[in-house]
Amino acid sequence: MNNVSMLLENFPHAVAGGFIIAAACSILGVFVILKRVVFIGVALSQVAAAGVAVSFVMAIHPYIGAALLTLVTVILLSYPFESHRISRDAILGIIFVVASALSILIVSKSGFGLHEVQALLYGDLIFTTPHDLIVIISVLIPVVLYLLMFLRPTVYTFIDREAAKVLKVKTSLWEFLFFVALGLTVSVSSRTAGALLVFCYLVVASSAGLMLSRRLGLVLIISTIAAFIATFTGMYLAVGYDLPTNHTIAASTCLLFAIACLPTLISWLKTTVPTPLSSRT
Amino acid sequence: MKKQPIIKCQNVTLAYGSQTVLKNVQLDIPPGVFLPFVGPNGAGKTTLLRALLGLVRPKSGQIITPFAQKAPGYVPQYKVIDPIYPVSVKHIVKMGLYPELQWWRRPSQSHKQRIDEALEKYSLTQHADKTFDCLSGGMKQKVMLARAFASGAEVFIMDEPTSELDDAAQHEVLEHLFDLTKKHKKTVLLAHHGIDNLVKWSQDICIVEHGQAAVVPTSEIYPRGSWLKKIKAKRAHAYE
Repeated sequence: MNNVSMLLENFPHAVAGGFIIAAACSILGVFVILKRVVFIGVALSQVAAAGVAVSFVMAIHPYIGAALLTLVTVILLSYPFESHRISRDAILGIIFVVASALSILIVSKSGFGLHEVQALLYGDLIFTTPHDLIVIISVLIPVVLYLLMFLRPTVYTFIDREAAKVLKVKTSLWEFLFFVALGLTVSVSSRTAGALLVFCYLVVASSAGLMLSRRLGLVLIISTIAAFIATFTGMYLAVGYDLPTNHTIAASTCLLFAIACLPTLISWLKTTVPTPLSSRT
Repeated sequence: MKKQPIIKCQNVTLAYGSQTVLKNVQLDIPPGVFLPFVGPNGAGKTTLLRALLGLVRPKSGQIITPFAQKAPGYVPQYKVIDPIYPVSVKHIVKMGLYPELQWWRRPSQSHKQRIDEALEKYSLTQHADKTFDCLSGGMKQKVMLARAFASGAEVFIMDEPTSELDDAAQHEVLEHLFDLTKKHKKTVLLAHHGIDNLVKWSQDICIVEHGQAAVVPTSEIYPRGSWLKKIKAKRAHAYE
């Protein structure tokens, strides 16, 4: 109980920021998984880190650098790329490698130590400042509201793009807006919560929702609740046992995902494990 | 008196890059017909129907349709819907109402009634809350039909709606399609592989072959289609 009150009193910005990041990433993550573009989450979070690194060199605000570079990448990715030689996944892989290498190379010449470089590029949720929280609120809450408000055309675009087009859904617009929303969310969240945790919210928390329900609305709610529980539990444990916050939250999310898999695992075991001959009638 | 065409293709050439698929297609499709588009694989049946839907832009020529005012009922193969999506049958059928509901309107009582009617027509009422991945291939194809029917479209365009189905399901789906023309006076255009099971359904057939497309009476089709002659010859050989 002491740890809870200590957490709320000493790190209110981290708790609030963590919850907002958890909600935004887990809701967007459901669509990232359904659209089978999971790798875009990793690639974009590395691009955001590269944007932060570029910001140091150009002496601009890290959030602006991260958001600009991520948005440029999203716009490039939304261009219909047709090639028989390399897939979109391969392009994402190339972006990931270039962004990862670039961010470290740029900051390595800045005079910081490796630990500082990592903290600068990838952030730590527990050190969320009031300024970070303002940025998180002003970017992520409109993103979540946008997605919930335009859920219908976004879902129609994703489930059957051509039929949606025939039904006069502006599929290219909704798809583009979704990726812009994803780019903004990943760039802002990565700066505060780090690439690993953002990817964890995007994929693991959302997967927990998908494991527990086959109704889209419920999936979104369950994913958000799972991300909230993991965030609070992770922060509580990190503060109580002096553990790295981002990694403890990520571990808690994975544990929740494992729990969410239990019903499916049990029903799978029930149907696949053969009944012993002695108990058959 | 001959009916005014509802869809017109005037000297339409369709191509993917430098590869021409269909050249100078002239088609007049009157309302209320059941018109299968038949031809060998790769002949351009799907491309032509996609061009009518506005999904493929003609390289040259003009396609005149009433789809700007009223969206057509598009029925793709059920496999276009990724089974990973946690959406119910009802949710997919409701998609057909998008031109009226847009992103902001809640479905009214009459909209809900139309969804229920579409579900009932295709015997899907008891499966309405099931997710799409729980259904058989035939049922999934009927969901695609119910979505188009719920939209209240006048023209239905279908891309091989029976290609992945067994004989019984194929027959059931074709019966439903023909019923759209016969009972509801809708125009039904479909890309189709087989021919035997279409002879009894349609008066005319659009043959798509060798970069051309032409509507011919079903009764004349056997002597004209070289592709069909080959099939007939193969079958005769198999029975010997």
